[in-house]
Amino acid sequence: MIESRTHAAAALFRRDMKLAFRRLGESLLPLFFLFTVIVLIPLGVGPGPNLLSRMAPGMVWVAALLASLLALEHLFRPDLEDGTLEQWFVGERAVYARVMARLLSHWLVTGLPVIVFSPLAAEMLNLPRHALGTLIVSLVIGTPALSLLGGLAASLTLSTRGASVLLSILIFPLIVPLVIFATGAVSMAADSLDPGAHLGLLAAFTILSLTLAPIGIAAALRMNLE
Amino acid sequence: MIWKTLKIWFHKLGSAPSFYRFARVVSPWLWFGFAVTAAYGLYLALYVVPPDYQQGDSARILYIHVPAAWQAMFIYLVMTILAIIALIWRIRLTEILAMSCAPIGAALTLVCLVTGSLWGKPMWGTWWEWDARLTSMLVLLFIYIGIMGLYAAFDDRRKGARIASVLIIAGAVNIPIIHFSVEWWNTLHQGATIKLTGESSMDPSMLPPLIWMVISTKLFFGAALLDRARNELLDQDRSKKWVARQVLETSS
Amino acid sequence: MIPELSHASYVWTSYSVFGVIVAWQFIQPLIRRKRLVDSMLEAEAERRAARRNQQ
Repeated sequence: MIESRTHAAAALFRRDMKLAFRRLGESLLPLFFLFTVIVLIPLGVGPGPNLLSRMAPGMVWVAALLASLLALEHLFRPDLEDGTLEQWFVGERAVYARVMARLLSHWLVTGLPVIVFSPLAAEMLNLPRHALGTLIVSLVIGTPALSLLGGLAASLTLSTRGASVLLSILIFPLIVPLVIFATGAVSMAADSLDPGAHLGLLAAFTILSLTLAPIGIAAALRMNLE
Repeated sequence: MIWKTLKIWFHKLGSAPSFYRFARVVSPWLWFGFAVTAAYGLYLALYVVPPDYQQGDSARILYIHVPAAWQAMFIYLVMTILAIIALIWRIRLTEILAMSCAPIGAALTLVCLVTGSLWGKPMWGTWWEWDARLTSMLVLLFIYIGIMGLYAAFDDRRKGARIASVLIIAGAVNIPIIHFSVEWWNTLHQGATIKLTGESSMDPSMLPPLIWMVISTKLFFGAALLDRARNELLDQDRSKKWVARQVLETSS
Repeated sequence: MIPELSHASYVWTSYSVFGVIVAWQFIQPLIRRKRLVDSMLEAEAERRAARRNQQ
């Protein structure tokens, strides 16, 4: 039973990854988007290094958020349209495992590239060098929660009209604590203070969304199919 | 015995026509009760309570601001309970009631935000301060709007109500965390500013108008909820026989 | 009758905002109900007219 579930999830994950690699350009679009946001900020507020380094923690995170938002609309939509989503709910009912597999591939496509390229973004925004480690740690802990809560918003709006606008309205309140804890940690580190408390809360928030969001996603997906 | 009659009463109320009749009879009384208690509460707030020694008469905004904030949060609690019942037992009436809560909660959150801003202008010198409570009320407003938007985005009302109920519960889990995080963020970034409703001990004379306003907002919620739920029921059942009997015969 | 208040404009605006929003919560369901009933009556009248034409 458990074996067949992992099997179903692994098959889905392999398929998603294969697709992501086949459309590599498309998969990397969120990353390019992130950098357009990061270039726009100095153009908007001026290139003064002091101002930029104060804003950097928030800006890198907001850019990461916007980048992950881009791919959300298509998280479950293609499966709904070609009918494969319905198959998730027949047979072994490996819904939970499949949801986790899909979220993992979403994170690998949107979250991981942001983490990998965050040193570059941090440098462009003049983030103090000693805060870089904290920025990376906060992204590693926090971006999975971004995928989880984004997945929840995507599953809720799956079969609605005007899903993309609604999706961004729904996701904003859900991720308020995430943004506060994550940028708080980086700001603390930038001010040479201990970011431990912020990072701990961030981890707690991610664990909480890891336990609850998939349940909500599975329920919302089923209701959308009814 | 009492339990049994209560159960029968509950089942009867669960059917659409009897709820419709119940709401039609009860809602005017609740509106009346709201008008009386609000009038008395506002009379106390404006005439009886002495002005605050620090804030002058602007402190009288408290009697709108605080009851609205409390009621907006209380409505979220009620809505969450209704959403849980709706998801577990699939009772249509609780779906309708939960969905009818959202616009009322949003309205009171808006009252809280606008009065907070109006109070903030003379106290802080700006219309908007990133005060912890105002900020979390703003997030609450977004959650309410999200619920209303999600419900409205489905053609199938019952499906929309159930999916919005999932969002309501997700919001209920998140609201305490949001509140805590915003408070924390605020203390780290700002230090102490003047708080609108302070930790300073409340003068005993402030309590009666506050209590009356709290009661009146509760009655207001009940009345508005029944009115909205009644409309929703009418809309969903527009082709049912009982609606024809209720509506067409009384109005023609 | 009307009490003299400091910051009077802020206090009165707050109270009227409360009044307006509460009033809107009272009026809006009335308007919606009227629209609903009207549309139902209209549909009923059409149905009757169709039946008469058939006969």
